[in-house]
Amino acid sequence: MGVTCVCQVPVSEGKSVQQTVDILHKKLEQLGAVKQGNFWVDCETYHATGNATGQPSKLLYVMHNSETPLSCMALFEGGPGLSADANFDVLMVKLKSHFQNAKGHKVESRGVRYRYCDFLVKIGTVAMSSSARGISVEVEYCACVIPGDCWNLMKEFMQSFLGSNTPELPTVFTSKAEGLSVPVDCMDTMSQYLELFGRVRKQQVLPGSGVR
Amino acid sequence: MADVMNVGVNLEAFSLAINAIQALRSSVTRVFDSLKDGMKNKETLEGREKVFITEFQDNLQSVNRDLNELERLSTLVGRPSESHPLHNSGLLSLDPVQDKTPLYSQLLQAYKWSNKLQYHAGLASSLLNQQSLKRSANQMGTSAKRRPKVQPSTLVLPIQYVDDVISRIGRMFPDMSIELFRPNGTSAVLLVTLGKVLKAIVVMRSLFIDRTIVRGFHENIYSEDGKLDIWSKSNYQAFQKVTDHATTALLHYQLPQMPDVVVRSFMTWLRSYIKLFQNPCQRCGKFLQEGLPPTWRDFRTLEAFHDTCRQ
Ligand SMILES: [Zn+2]
Repeated sequence: MGVTCVCQVPVSEGKSVQQTVDILHKKLEQLGAVKQGNFWVDCETYHATGNATGQPSKLLYVMHNSETPLSCMALFEGGPGLSADANFDVLMVKLKSHFQNAKGHKVESRGVRYRYCDFLVKIGTVAMSSSARGISVEVEYCACVIPGDCWNLMKEFMQSFLGSNTPELPTVFTSKAEGLSVPVDCMDTMSQYLELFGRVRKQQVLPGSGVR
Repeated sequence: MADVMNVGVNLEAFSLAINAIQALRSSVTRVFDSLKDGMKNKETLEGREKVFITEFQDNLQSVNRDLNELERLSTLVGRPSESHPLHNSGLLSLDPVQDKTPLYSQLLQAYKWSNKLQYHAGLASSLLNQQSLKRSANQMGTSAKRRPKVQPSTLVLPIQYVDDVISRIGRMFPDMSIELFRPNGTSAVLLVTLGKVLKAIVVMRSLFIDRTIVRGFHENIYSEDGKLDIWSKSNYQAFQKVTDHATTALLHYQLPQMPDVVVRSFMTWLRSYIKLFQNPCQRCGKFLQEGLPPTWRDFRTLEAFHDTCRQ
Protein backbone atom coordinates (compact mmCIF):
# COMPACT_ATOMS: atom_id res chain seq x y z
CA MET A 1 0.00 0.00 0.00
CA GLY A 2 1.10 3.52 -0.77
CA VAL A 3 0.58 7.00 0.58
CA THR A 4 -3.12 7.86 0.95
CA CYS A 5 -5.01 11.07 1.30
CA VAL A 6 -8.66 11.05 2.38
CA CYS A 7 -10.71 14.21 2.09
CA GLN A 8 -14.27 15.39 2.05
CA VAL A 9 -15.63 17.03 -1.06
CA PRO A 10 -18.52 19.44 -0.54
CA VAL A 11 -21.72 18.83 -2.46
CA SER A 12 -21.89 21.21 -5.42
CA GLU A 13 -24.29 24.12 -5.21
CA GLY A 14 -27.79 23.07 -6.26
CA LYS A 15 -26.77 19.44 -6.78
CA SER A 16 -27.51 16.27 -4.86
CA VAL A 17 -24.84 14.00 -3.39
CA GLN A 18 -25.32 11.51 -6.20
CA GLN A 19 -25.06 14.22 -8.86
CA THR A 20 -21.82 15.52 -7.36
CA VAL A 21 -20.43 11.98 -7.23
CA ASP A 22 -21.41 11.49 -10.88
CA ILE A 23 -19.53 14.67 -11.84
CA LEU A 24 -16.41 13.35 -10.07
CA HIS A 25 -16.75 10.01 -11.86
CA LYS A 26 -16.99 11.77 -15.19
CA LYS A 27 -13.92 13.90 -14.48
CA LEU A 28 -11.88 10.84 -13.57
CA GLU A 29 -13.00 8.95 -16.65
CA GLN A 30 -12.05 11.92 -18.81
CA LEU A 31 -8.55 11.76 -17.29
CA GLY A 32 -8.32 8.13 -18.39
CA ALA A 33 -9.04 6.45 -15.06
CA VAL A 34 -10.58 2.98 -15.25
CA LYS A 35 -13.32 1.62 -12.97
CA GLN A 36 -12.03 -1.26 -10.91
CA GLY A 37 -14.75 -2.60 -8.63
CA ASN A 38 -16.32 -1.13 -5.52
CA PHE A 39 -15.10 -0.35 -2.05
CA TRP A 40 -16.42 0.35 1.40
CA VAL A 41 -15.08 1.57 4.72
CA ASP A 42 -17.23 1.38 7.86
CA CYS A 43 -16.90 2.44 11.44
CA GLU A 44 -18.78 1.43 14.60
CA THR A 45 -18.56 3.37 17.84
CA TYR A 46 -18.29 1.78 21.29
CA HIS A 47 -18.57 3.43 24.70
CA ALA A 48 -16.38 2.11 27.45
CA THR A 49 -18.77 1.31 30.35
CA GLY A 50 -18.24 0.80 34.06
CA ASN A 51 -16.25 3.95 34.42
CA ALA A 52 -15.97 4.32 38.21
CA THR A 53 -14.62 7.86 38.28
CA GLY A 54 -17.56 9.22 36.37
CA GLN A 55 -15.40 11.01 33.82
CA PRO A 56 -16.61 11.09 30.25
CA SER A 57 -15.83 7.67 28.83
CA LYS A 58 -13.35 7.17 26.05
CA LEU A 59 -14.69 6.08 22.70
CA LEU A 60 -13.47 3.04 20.80
CA TYR A 61 -13.92 2.85 17.05
CA VAL A 62 -13.95 -0.47 15.19
CA MET A 63 -13.43 -0.13 11.47
CA HIS A 64 -13.37 -2.31 8.36
CA ASN A 65 -11.88 -1.62 4.96
CA SER A 66 -12.67 -3.60 1.81
CA GLU A 67 -8.98 -3.32 0.80
CA THR A 68 -8.12 -5.56 3.75
CA PRO A 69 -11.23 -7.76 4.14
CA LEU A 70 -9.56 -10.18 6.57
CA SER A 71 -8.62 -7.46 9.05
CA CYS A 72 -10.41 -5.33 11.53
CA MET A 73 -8.99 -2.08 12.86
CA ALA A 74 -9.69 -0.71 16.32
CA LEU A 75 -8.77 2.85 17.27
CA PHE A 76 -9.19 4.65 20.56
CA GLU A 77 -10.28 8.22 20.31
CA GLY A 78 -7.06 10.18 20.07
CA GLY A 79 -5.19 7.14 21.29
CA PRO A 80 -3.47 4.04 19.99
CA GLY A 81 -4.89 1.79 17.30
CA LEU A 82 -4.54 -1.85 16.43
CA SER A 83 -5.08 -4.06 13.45
CA ALA A 84 -6.55 -7.51 14.14
CA ASP A 85 -8.23 -10.50 12.50
CA ALA A 86 -11.84 -10.07 11.43
CA ASN A 87 -12.70 -12.22 14.47
CA PHE A 88 -12.24 -9.06 16.51
CA ASP A 89 -15.93 -8.28 15.92
CA VAL A 90 -16.90 -11.44 17.79
CA LEU A 91 -14.59 -10.46 20.60
CA MET A 92 -16.34 -7.10 20.87
CA VAL A 93 -19.68 -8.90 21.36
CA LYS A 94 -18.14 -10.87 24.23
CA LEU A 95 -16.83 -7.65 25.73
CA LYS A 96 -20.21 -5.95 25.72
CA SER A 97 -20.13 -5.56 29.47
CA HIS A 98 -17.12 -3.25 28.97
CA PHE A 99 -17.80 -1.73 25.59
CA GLN A 100 -21.29 -0.81 24.49
CA ASN A 101 -22.13 -0.41 20.84
CA ALA A 102 -23.50 3.05 20.22
CA LYS A 103 -26.35 2.02 17.94
CA GLY A 104 -27.18 4.48 15.23
CA HIS A 105 -23.65 5.80 15.21
CA LYS A 106 -22.42 3.48 12.47
CA VAL A 107 -20.93 5.45 9.60
CA GLU A 108 -19.81 4.04 6.32
CA SER A 109 -18.54 5.16 2.96
CA ARG A 110 -19.31 3.13 -0.15
CA GLY A 111 -18.54 3.80 -3.74
CA VAL A 112 -16.53 3.10 -6.85
CA ARG A 113 -12.83 2.38 -7.04
CA TYR A 114 -10.87 3.84 -9.95
CA ARG A 115 -7.37 3.06 -11.15
CA TYR A 116 -5.25 5.59 -13.01
CA CYS A 117 -1.66 4.49 -13.62
CA ASP A 118 -0.26 3.90 -10.13
CA PHE A 119 -3.07 5.86 -8.46
CA LEU A 120 -6.15 4.39 -6.80
CA VAL A 121 -9.08 6.76 -6.37
CA LYS A 122 -12.13 5.90 -4.29
CA ILE A 123 -15.15 8.14 -4.50
CA GLY A 124 -17.55 7.23 -1.70
CA THR A 125 -20.91 8.35 -0.43
CA VAL A 126 -20.71 8.77 3.35
CA ALA A 127 -23.89 7.53 5.00
CA MET A 128 -25.17 7.42 8.57
CA SER A 129 -28.14 5.16 9.28
CA SER A 130 -28.59 4.85 5.52
CA SER A 131 -28.96 8.57 4.83
CA ALA A 132 -26.34 10.20 2.64
CA ARG A 133 -24.34 12.79 4.53
CA GLY A 134 -21.42 13.67 2.27
CA ILE A 135 -18.76 12.61 -0.18
CA SER A 136 -15.35 11.11 0.61
CA VAL A 137 -12.44 10.98 -1.83
CA GLU A 138 -9.46 8.77 -1.13
CA VAL A 139 -6.39 9.01 -3.35
CA GLU A 140 -3.62 6.48 -2.96
CA TYR A 141 -0.30 6.67 -4.78
CA CYS A 142 0.64 3.01 -4.70
CA ALA A 143 4.24 3.35 -5.96
CA CYS A 144 5.48 5.37 -2.97
CA VAL A 145 5.27 4.86 0.80
CA ILE A 146 6.89 8.10 1.97
CA PRO A 147 4.40 10.99 2.29
CA GLY A 148 7.16 13.61 2.26
CA ASP A 149 8.44 12.28 -1.07
CA CYS A 150 5.29 12.15 -3.15
CA TRP A 151 2.97 14.73 -1.61
CA ASN A 152 3.54 17.39 -4.30
CA LEU A 153 3.01 14.81 -6.99
CA MET A 154 -0.23 13.63 -5.37
CA LYS A 155 -1.40 17.20 -4.97
CA GLU A 156 -0.86 17.86 -8.66
CA PHE A 157 -2.94 14.78 -9.47
CA MET A 158 -5.76 15.73 -7.10
CA GLN A 159 -5.89 19.25 -8.50
CA SER A 160 -6.59 17.74 -11.90
CA PHE A 161 -10.02 16.51 -10.79
CA LEU A 162 -10.75 18.20 -7.44
CA GLY A 163 -9.65 21.69 -8.41
CA SER A 164 -10.02 24.08 -5.49
CA ASN A 165 -11.23 21.26 -3.21
CA THR A 166 -7.73 19.76 -3.16
CA PRO A 167 -6.80 19.18 0.50
CA GLU A 168 -3.59 19.97 2.32
CA LEU A 169 -1.18 17.28 3.54
CA PRO A 170 -3.22 15.19 6.04
CA THR A 171 -2.45 15.96 9.69
CA VAL A 172 -1.97 12.26 10.40
CA PHE A 173 1.36 12.60 8.58
CA THR A 174 2.37 16.07 9.73
CA SER A 175 1.74 15.21 13.38
CA LYS A 176 4.04 12.19 13.35
CA ALA A 177 7.01 12.57 15.64
CA GLU A 178 9.29 10.79 13.13
CA GLY A 179 8.41 13.28 10.42
CA LEU A 180 7.32 12.85 6.84
CA SER A 181 9.97 10.35 5.84
CA VAL A 182 8.65 7.24 7.59
CA PRO A 183 6.75 4.70 5.53
CA VAL A 184 2.96 4.81 5.84
CA ASP A 185 0.80 1.96 7.12
CA CYS A 186 -2.88 1.06 6.86
CA MET A 187 -3.72 2.78 10.16
CA ASP A 188 -2.84 6.13 8.60
CA THR A 189 -5.64 5.64 6.10
CA MET A 190 -8.10 4.52 8.76
CA SER A 191 -7.42 7.49 11.04
CA GLN A 192 -8.07 9.81 8.09
CA TYR A 193 -11.45 8.12 7.51
CA LEU A 194 -12.17 8.31 11.24
CA GLU A 195 -11.50 12.03 11.23
CA LEU A 196 -13.74 12.50 8.20
CA PHE A 197 -16.53 10.38 9.74
CA GLY A 198 -16.30 12.45 12.93
CA ARG A 199 -16.84 15.65 10.96
CA VAL A 200 -19.76 14.13 9.05
CA ARG A 201 -21.37 12.91 12.28
CA LYS A 202 -21.34 16.41 13.74
CA GLN A 203 -22.77 18.08 10.70
CA GLN A 204 -26.51 17.63 11.02
CA VAL A 205 -27.66 19.26 7.86
CA LEU A 206 -26.33 18.43 4.46
CA PRO A 207 -24.62 21.52 3.02
CA GLY A 208 -26.35 22.70 -0.08
CA SER A 209 -29.63 20.99 0.76
CA GLY A 210 -30.86 24.21 2.31
CA VAL A 211 -33.71 23.10 4.54
CA ARG A 212 -33.88 20.25 6.95
CA MET B 1 56.46 0.99 -79.60
CA ALA B 2 58.21 3.10 -77.03
CA ASP B 3 55.30 2.51 -74.68
CA VAL B 4 55.71 -1.19 -75.03
CA MET B 5 59.36 -0.89 -74.06
CA ASN B 6 58.41 1.09 -71.02
CA VAL B 7 55.99 -1.50 -69.84
CA GLY B 8 58.60 -4.15 -70.42
CA VAL B 9 56.45 -6.70 -72.13
CA ASN B 10 57.64 -8.83 -75.04
CA LEU B 11 54.55 -8.66 -77.23
CA GLU B 12 55.62 -11.45 -79.57
CA ALA B 13 56.17 -13.85 -76.70
CA PHE B 14 52.88 -12.64 -75.29
CA SER B 15 50.89 -13.69 -78.36
CA LEU B 16 52.74 -17.01 -78.51
CA ALA B 17 51.88 -17.56 -74.85
CA ILE B 18 48.22 -16.90 -75.51
CA ASN B 19 48.32 -19.52 -78.25
CA ALA B 20 50.00 -21.93 -75.85
CA ILE B 21 47.26 -21.38 -73.29
CA GLN B 22 44.67 -22.20 -75.94
CA ALA B 23 46.54 -25.37 -76.83
CA LEU B 24 46.75 -26.36 -73.18
CA ARG B 25 43.07 -25.82 -72.67
CA SER B 26 42.12 -27.96 -75.65
CA SER B 27 44.44 -30.80 -74.62
CA VAL B 28 42.97 -30.73 -71.11
CA THR B 29 39.51 -30.82 -72.66
CA ARG B 30 40.56 -33.87 -74.66
CA VAL B 31 41.60 -35.69 -71.47
CA PHE B 32 38.22 -35.19 -69.91
CA ASP B 33 36.38 -35.96 -73.14
CA SER B 34 38.04 -39.35 -73.41
CA LEU B 35 37.40 -40.03 -69.72
CA LYS B 36 33.79 -39.11 -70.22
CA ASP B 37 33.36 -41.37 -73.27
CA GLY B 38 34.88 -44.32 -71.40
CA MET B 39 36.02 -47.57 -73.00
CA LYS B 40 35.09 -48.22 -76.62
CA ASN B 41 33.59 -51.47 -77.83
CA LYS B 42 36.26 -54.11 -78.59
CA GLU B 43 36.03 -57.93 -78.71
CA THR B 44 37.72 -58.61 -75.41
CA LEU B 45 37.64 -56.76 -72.10
CA GLU B 46 41.47 -56.81 -72.13
CA GLY B 47 41.53 -55.10 -75.55
CA ARG B 48 39.13 -52.46 -74.41
CA GLU B 49 41.20 -51.59 -71.36
CA LYS B 50 44.42 -51.49 -73.33
CA VAL B 51 43.13 -49.05 -75.94
CA PHE B 52 41.61 -46.84 -73.23
CA ILE B 53 44.80 -46.66 -71.19
CA THR B 54 47.01 -45.85 -74.21
CA GLU B 55 44.64 -43.11 -75.26
CA PHE B 56 44.60 -41.68 -71.71
CA GLN B 57 48.40 -41.71 -71.52
CA ASP B 58 48.74 -39.97 -74.90
CA ASN B 59 46.35 -37.27 -73.81
CA LEU B 60 48.14 -36.67 -70.52
CA GLN B 61 51.45 -36.44 -72.34
CA SER B 62 50.13 -33.76 -74.67
CA VAL B 63 48.88 -31.80 -71.64
CA ASN B 64 52.33 -32.07 -70.15
CA ARG B 65 53.94 -30.91 -73.40
CA ASP B 66 51.65 -27.90 -73.73
CA LEU B 67 52.21 -26.95 -70.10
CA ASN B 68 55.98 -27.03 -70.54
CA GLU B 69 55.70 -24.86 -73.62
CA LEU B 70 53.60 -22.34 -71.73
CA GLU B 71 56.08 -22.22 -68.89
CA ARG B 72 58.95 -21.63 -71.31
CA LEU B 73 57.10 -18.78 -73.01
CA SER B 74 56.04 -17.18 -69.75
CA THR B 75 59.69 -16.51 -68.85
CA LEU B 76 60.05 -14.68 -72.17
CA VAL B 77 57.00 -12.45 -71.62
CA GLY B 78 58.76 -10.57 -68.85
CA ARG B 79 57.23 -8.71 -65.92
CA PRO B 80 55.32 -5.47 -66.25
CA SER B 81 56.87 -2.51 -64.53
CA GLU B 82 55.94 -2.26 -60.89
CA SER B 83 56.76 1.40 -60.63
CA HIS B 84 53.26 2.27 -61.75
CA PRO B 85 51.18 3.42 -58.73
CA LEU B 86 48.24 1.32 -59.74
CA HIS B 87 50.33 -1.73 -60.67
CA ASN B 88 48.89 -3.79 -63.49
CA SER B 89 45.78 -1.68 -63.71
CA GLY B 90 48.07 1.11 -64.94
CA LEU B 91 48.21 -0.80 -68.20
CA LEU B 92 44.66 0.32 -68.81
CA SER B 93 46.06 3.78 -69.54
CA LEU B 94 47.64 2.29 -72.66
CA ASP B 95 44.29 1.68 -74.22
CA PRO B 96 44.25 3.92 -77.31
CA VAL B 97 40.46 4.25 -77.36
CA GLN B 98 40.15 6.30 -74.17
CA ASP B 99 36.89 7.93 -75.20
CA LYS B 100 35.05 4.66 -75.58
CA THR B 101 36.40 2.92 -72.49
CA PRO B 102 37.27 5.53 -69.86
CA LEU B 103 38.14 2.75 -67.43
CA TYR B 104 41.45 4.25 -66.36
CA SER B 105 40.17 7.69 -65.37
CA GLN B 106 37.27 6.10 -63.54
CA LEU B 107 39.68 3.86 -61.70
CA LEU B 108 41.83 6.82 -60.66
CA GLN B 109 38.78 8.60 -59.31
CA ALA B 110 37.64 5.57 -57.36
CA TYR B 111 41.13 5.25 -55.95
CA LYS B 112 41.21 8.86 -54.78
CA TRP B 113 37.73 8.50 -53.32
CA SER B 114 38.61 5.38 -51.36
CA ASN B 115 41.79 7.08 -50.05
CA LYS B 116 39.74 9.98 -48.79
CA LEU B 117 37.17 7.64 -47.24
CA GLN B 118 39.87 5.82 -45.35
CA TYR B 119 41.25 9.12 -44.05
CA HIS B 120 37.87 10.37 -42.84
CA ALA B 121 37.01 7.00 -41.33
CA GLY B 122 40.24 7.21 -39.35
CA LEU B 123 39.34 10.66 -38.03
CA ALA B 124 35.80 9.56 -37.16
CA SER B 125 37.08 6.47 -35.39
CA SER B 126 39.44 8.45 -33.16
CA LEU B 127 36.61 10.89 -32.32
CA LEU B 128 34.23 8.08 -31.48
CA ASN B 129 36.80 6.38 -29.29
CA GLN B 130 36.78 9.40 -26.99
CA GLN B 131 33.17 8.54 -26.18
CA SER B 132 33.73 4.86 -25.75
CA LEU B 133 31.45 4.71 -22.68
CA LYS B 134 28.70 4.13 -25.20
CA ARG B 135 28.28 0.48 -25.88
CA SER B 136 26.05 1.02 -28.88
CA ALA B 137 28.55 3.33 -30.60
CA ASN B 138 31.26 0.76 -30.10
CA GLN B 139 29.30 -2.01 -31.63
CA MET B 140 28.89 -0.10 -34.85
CA GLY B 141 32.59 0.68 -35.13
CA THR B 142 35.54 -1.55 -35.67
CA SER B 143 35.73 -2.51 -32.01
CA ALA B 144 32.66 -4.70 -32.42
CA LYS B 145 35.07 -7.29 -33.75
CA ARG B 146 37.49 -6.67 -30.93
CA ARG B 147 35.01 -6.99 -28.10
CA PRO B 148 34.60 -10.75 -27.93
CA LYS B 149 38.38 -10.97 -27.62
CA VAL B 150 38.43 -8.56 -24.69
CA GLN B 151 35.55 -10.06 -22.81
CA PRO B 152 36.80 -13.55 -22.01
CA SER B 153 39.82 -12.16 -20.16
CA THR B 154 37.69 -9.85 -17.97
CA LEU B 155 35.04 -12.50 -17.48
CA VAL B 156 37.40 -14.53 -15.36
CA LEU B 157 38.17 -11.82 -12.79
CA PRO B 158 38.77 -13.22 -9.32
CA ILE B 159 35.71 -13.16 -7.04
CA GLN B 160 37.64 -11.16 -4.44
CA TYR B 161 38.33 -8.40 -6.96
CA VAL B 162 34.65 -8.13 -7.91
CA ASP B 163 33.69 -7.99 -4.23
CA ASP B 164 36.22 -5.20 -3.63
CA VAL B 165 35.02 -3.09 -6.55
CA ILE B 166 31.38 -3.45 -5.47
CA SER B 167 32.05 -2.60 -1.83
CA ARG B 168 34.12 0.42 -2.87
CA ILE B 169 31.21 1.67 -5.01
CA GLY B 170 28.82 0.97 -2.11
CA ARG B 171 30.87 3.20 0.18
CA MET B 172 30.76 6.06 -2.34
CA PHE B 173 27.01 6.58 -1.89
CA PRO B 174 25.73 6.76 1.68
CA ASP B 175 22.06 6.79 0.65
CA MET B 176 22.48 3.66 -1.41
CA SER B 177 23.07 0.23 0.04
CA ILE B 178 24.47 -2.54 -2.10
CA GLU B 179 24.21 -6.16 -0.96
CA LEU B 180 26.03 -8.83 -2.93
CA PHE B 181 24.67 -12.36 -3.35
CA ARG B 182 25.98 -15.35 -5.27
CA PRO B 183 22.91 -17.53 -5.61
CA ASN B 184 24.09 -19.36 -8.72
CA GLY B 185 27.81 -20.08 -8.60
CA THR B 186 30.34 -17.32 -9.18
CA SER B 187 28.11 -14.73 -10.85
CA ALA B 188 27.11 -11.98 -8.46
CA VAL B 189 23.62 -10.55 -8.01
CA LEU B 190 23.43 -7.11 -6.41
CA LEU B 191 20.49 -5.85 -4.42
CA VAL B 192 20.62 -2.08 -4.51
CA THR B 193 18.36 -0.24 -2.08
CA LEU B 194 18.10 3.44 -2.88
CA GLY B 195 16.83 5.43 0.08
CA LYS B 196 13.18 4.58 0.62
CA VAL B 197 12.42 4.94 -3.06
CA LEU B 198 13.37 1.83 -4.94
CA LYS B 199 15.13 -1.50 -4.95
CA ALA B 200 17.10 -2.65 -7.96
CA ILE B 201 18.30 -6.15 -8.66
CA VAL B 202 21.43 -6.12 -10.80
CA VAL B 203 22.56 -9.41 -12.30
CA MET B 204 26.29 -9.45 -12.99
CA ARG B 205 28.62 -11.55 -15.06
CA SER B 206 31.99 -10.96 -13.54
CA LEU B 207 32.06 -7.13 -13.56
CA PHE B 208 29.68 -6.80 -16.51
CA ILE B 209 26.06 -5.97 -15.78
CA ASP B 210 23.90 -8.53 -17.51
CA ARG B 211 20.42 -7.27 -16.66
CA THR B 212 18.63 -5.19 -14.12
CA ILE B 213 15.13 -4.93 -12.72
CA VAL B 214 13.80 -2.07 -10.60
CA ARG B 215 10.95 -2.37 -8.09
CA GLY B 216 9.33 -0.16 -5.48
CA PHE B 217 10.86 0.17 -2.02
CA HIS B 218 7.95 -1.75 -0.48
CA GLU B 219 7.69 -4.47 -3.12
CA ASN B 220 8.79 -8.07 -2.67
CA ILE B 221 12.28 -8.89 -3.80
CA TYR B 222 12.15 -12.53 -2.75
CA SER B 223 10.05 -15.15 -4.46
CA GLU B 224 7.92 -17.61 -2.49
CA ASP B 225 10.79 -20.07 -2.06
CA GLY B 226 12.86 -17.38 -0.36
CA LYS B 227 15.25 -16.78 -3.25
CA LEU B 228 15.96 -13.40 -4.80
CA ASP B 229 13.34 -12.88 -7.48
CA ILE B 230 15.37 -11.66 -10.45
CA TRP B 231 12.59 -12.03 -13.03
CA SER B 232 9.20 -10.56 -11.99
CA LYS B 233 8.63 -7.01 -13.06
CA SER B 234 7.34 -4.35 -10.70
CA ASN B 235 3.60 -4.03 -10.09
CA TYR B 236 3.86 -0.28 -10.61
CA GLN B 237 4.04 1.45 -13.97
CA ALA B 238 6.52 4.01 -12.64
CA PHE B 239 9.07 1.32 -11.80
CA GLN B 240 8.40 -0.60 -15.00
CA LYS B 241 9.42 2.57 -16.83
CA VAL B 242 12.50 3.00 -14.64
CA THR B 243 13.44 -0.62 -15.40
CA ASP B 244 13.21 0.11 -19.12
CA HIS B 245 15.40 3.18 -18.75
CA ALA B 246 17.92 1.30 -16.60
CA THR B 247 18.23 -1.29 -19.36
CA THR B 248 18.90 1.53 -21.81
CA ALA B 249 21.55 2.86 -19.42
CA LEU B 250 23.30 -0.51 -19.44
CA LEU B 251 23.63 -0.21 -23.19
CA HIS B 252 24.83 3.38 -22.88
CA TYR B 253 27.54 2.99 -20.24
CA GLN B 254 30.03 0.63 -21.83
CA LEU B 255 33.81 0.50 -21.68
CA PRO B 256 34.98 -3.08 -22.14
CA GLN B 257 38.51 -2.38 -20.96
CA MET B 258 37.35 -0.87 -17.64
CA PRO B 259 34.25 -2.70 -16.44
CA ASP B 260 34.54 -1.19 -12.95
CA VAL B 261 34.12 2.32 -14.39
CA VAL B 262 30.95 1.13 -16.12
CA VAL B 263 29.47 -0.24 -12.88
CA ARG B 264 30.34 3.00 -11.09
CA SER B 265 28.81 5.16 -13.85
CA PHE B 266 25.66 3.05 -13.83
CA MET B 267 25.31 3.30 -10.04
CA THR B 268 25.87 7.07 -10.15
CA TRP B 269 23.11 7.31 -12.72
CA LEU B 270 20.78 5.02 -10.77
CA ARG B 271 21.35 7.09 -7.65
CA SER B 272 19.72 10.12 -9.28
CA TYR B 273 16.38 8.31 -8.78
CA ILE B 274 16.57 9.13 -5.06
CA LYS B 275 14.23 12.03 -5.88
CA LEU B 276 12.05 10.07 -8.33
CA PHE B 277 8.85 11.39 -6.73
CA GLN B 278 10.21 14.77 -5.65
CA ASN B 279 11.75 16.22 -8.81
CA PRO B 280 9.48 17.89 -11.33
CA CYS B 281 10.31 17.48 -15.01
CA GLN B 282 13.09 19.79 -16.24
CA ARG B 283 11.21 20.43 -19.44
CA CYS B 284 7.50 20.81 -18.65
CA GLY B 285 7.92 21.64 -14.95
CA LYS B 286 5.19 19.22 -13.89
CA PHE B 287 5.30 16.19 -11.64
CA LEU B 288 2.98 14.02 -13.67
CA GLN B 289 2.63 13.26 -17.35
CA GLU B 290 0.04 10.60 -18.16
CA GLY B 291 0.02 9.66 -14.49
CA LEU B 292 3.77 8.98 -14.34
CA PRO B 293 6.51 10.96 -12.58
CA PRO B 294 9.62 12.02 -14.54
CA THR B 295 11.10 8.52 -14.94
CA TRP B 296 13.94 9.42 -17.31
CA ARG B 297 17.33 10.65 -16.10
CA ASP B 298 19.74 12.23 -18.56
CA PHE B 299 22.89 10.10 -18.88
CA ARG B 300 25.20 13.09 -18.68
CA THR B 301 23.48 15.71 -16.53
CA LEU B 302 21.27 13.28 -14.51
CA GLU B 303 18.39 15.76 -14.89
CA ALA B 304 14.84 14.44 -14.52
CA PHE B 305 12.51 14.30 -17.50
CA HIS B 306 9.27 12.60 -18.36
CA ASP B 307 9.73 9.87 -20.90
CA THR B 308 7.70 11.96 -23.32
CA CYS B 309 9.63 15.19 -22.55
CA ARG B 310 13.19 13.99 -22.98
CA GLN B 311 13.85 14.81 -26.63
ZN1 LIG C 1 7.79 16.67 -18.61
